[in-house]
Amino acid sequence: MKTRDQEYRELFMAEALEYYDSMSRHLSELERNPNAGPALNELFRLMHNLKANARAMGFTDLGEVAHHLETLFGLIRDQERTFSGPLIRVVFAGVDALGNMIRAVGANQPLPDASALLDNLDRLVRGEAPVLDEVDEGDTEEESNRKMELSDLVYIQVKKLDNLLNLVGELVIDRDRIMTLAQEIGNPALLATAQHLFRISDDLQYSVMDARLVGVGVLLNKFPRVVRDVATAENKEVELTLSGQDVQIDRNILQIITDALLHLVRNAVSHGLETTEQRQAAGKSAIGHLTLSALTERDDVLIQVQDDGRGINTEAVRRKAVERGLITAAAAGSLNEQDVWALLFEPGFSMADKVTDISGRGVGLDVVKLALDSLGGQLRVESELGIGTTFTLVLPTSIAVKGALLIEVDERPYALPLMHTDTVLSLEPSQISVVGGVLVTHVQGLAVPLVPLRLLLHDEGDDVLPLASKSELDGPQQVLVVNYNNRRLGLVVDRFIRQQNIVIKPLSKPLDTIDLFGGVTLLGSGQVCLVLDVPALTRLFLAKRP
Amino acid sequence: MADIELSVPAAKPERVKPAELVQLIVFRLGDEDYGIRIEQVKEVTVTPEVARMPKTPPFIKGIANLRGDIIAIIDLEERFLLRPAGRAVPERSYTVAVEAADYILGLMVREVPRPFTLPQSQIEAAPDFVQDSSTRDKYLEGIAKLPDGGIIIVLDMRKLLTPSEVMRLPGKSASS
Repeated sequence: MKTRDQEYRELFMAEALEYYDSMSRHLSELERNPNAGPALNELFRLMHNLKANARAMGFTDLGEVAHHLETLFGLIRDQERTFSGPLIRVVFAGVDALGNMIRAVGANQPLPDASALLDNLDRLVRGEAPVLDEVDEGDTEEESNRKMELSDLVYIQVKKLDNLLNLVGELVIDRDRIMTLAQEIGNPALLATAQHLFRISDDLQYSVMDARLVGVGVLLNKFPRVVRDVATAENKEVELTLSGQDVQIDRNILQIITDALLHLVRNAVSHGLETTEQRQAAGKSAIGHLTLSALTERDDVLIQVQDDGRGINTEAVRRKAVERGLITAAAAGSLNEQDVWALLFEPGFSMADKVTDISGRGVGLDVVKLALDSLGGQLRVESELGIGTTFTLVLPTSIAVKGALLIEVDERPYALPLMHTDTVLSLEPSQISVVGGVLVTHVQGLAVPLVPLRLLLHDEGDDVLPLASKSELDGPQQVLVVNYNNRRLGLVVDRFIRQQNIVIKPLSKPLDTIDLFGGVTLLGSGQVCLVLDVPALTRLFLAKRP
Repeated sequence: MADIELSVPAAKPERVKPAELVQLIVFRLGDEDYGIRIEQVKEVTVTPEVARMPKTPPFIKGIANLRGDIIAIIDLEERFLLRPAGRAVPERSYTVAVEAADYILGLMVREVPRPFTLPQSQIEAAPDFVQDSSTRDKYLEGIAKLPDGGIIIVLDMRKLLTPSEVMRLPGKSASS
């Protein structure tokens, strides 16, 4: 495994070499046509980027040369200098020096000394004549010694990686099938080959997944600007802290949660944090603190948006939800804190009384939930009034492979992503009671409604589910407790099969309109297995409960 | 799972007009022969194991794994109410995989489908009264009259298989 440092260095090298090639190209064009504006602008931009990258990596000399050249190109662009005479030679020497320095970085050698060049560049900037060596005998030799080099990195379209990942997914499914067949046939040579295939395809799968990983930083680093803009518009002082930029996650997952994170951050600044006066009145520091952090937890990646603002006013949310008609007043009264907070992420919910540019336009936090649902992720909310709020997005590292629990109902297997499963229970009828027509049990002191999965799957039409009665319960009941948006629901199944990593294939048309199924997977036996979507199951239960 | 050879018999030497020939895959639904143009057929195979899919109308038999593609298997006899009462779906059936605009669907049929070649001129446009365009799209391309007096009803799959058409729920009588 490469260290993060090495990886950054390679990235820097790839970009720097690309910049260097473009510089040489644009410089030649500028020499032919000293008034080529686009080439000049491009050179200025390339110098600027190279300077920034070099300084960030700690290559100060390299950054210094790029900085001087940037200044000089700025002057040429502003027509205070012309691209002619000795200036041309110095600029070419400068770009060559950059090339040598970049190569030195790549070869892990000390950077060549550039003080003479820097002096000349300084002179040019000041409008003095540069001091040039009279004889440039090394020039021709240097020409022939110059190496052509290609970058060690390739840029690749995400689409191509997606395709690769899909192919690997298919391969893994067939591999499992071959493995099962080999075990059935029992031929030792076949079995050995199948096991080898198993290992290779495992490695291949992880390599492809690894190739798709990017640092969360590529997204987090966009937020200082967002926070600054929102804070300015809201007239607040906010200090943003980023951490965990190195945590790796699938590029597409990061893409999908971009909007969700943007919403949470804007929400935190405009609603979560108080104004300076309010903060001082409450005895807090004048500047609000916002932390965006990424960390790993088991196989998941957590992204947290944490503020030290006013916290969620649970009672206000409760009132607002009733006002907006999301729930009845009676139902609202019985909800616990977590359940009330979950309402924040319902479509159509907004706490804003005033509409600002930033928030309160009716586009609510429900986009957060939608994004997470599409990934099979989870949202955690922690909040304390007057202290602050933390939203945690729980995300899978990779889209392709998910841990799942296989269960059986009516002799058919179904898969449930582990991300949404809490616990499995085997309950005696005596541990189950009937409340308002719904089966209920107690898990760790909390009431959890139970529903036979069979009923949810085969329910047709708009009628509510039949009233449950204990007389239907015969013997111990196998219950899988699922968790979605802090709501727990116990699914009564016929039997648990096993836990397994599965590759989810999306359902193709026309069946993709049924939201109860997140996709299908193929089991080693070749059997088609439907993957249940816990958010949809939970919603169906809430809509249909008697 | 052996594919059934889609070998096409040589065109009958009726009239020398090769450009006008149409190749159909012909299968039986109810007591009639139906045909689909061979260009719309991807593959004919013994029906693979079908997993019943909850929340779908009964004529959708379920989903099956066809060479890595997960496709819906539909029973047109049930869809068009063509199956005489009491006649069960046979143990071993065949699936004609047809290509719709952007997905594949399997049509379950009871007997081995057979290829059939006939001149385009033998296919007559379906009479208007058969096509009730208010409720059904015009998925009948026409009716082919055979020399022996039989007919083949030619279906246009691309019109039959729009997602809304496939998923149309047959009322609340559905029970599974």
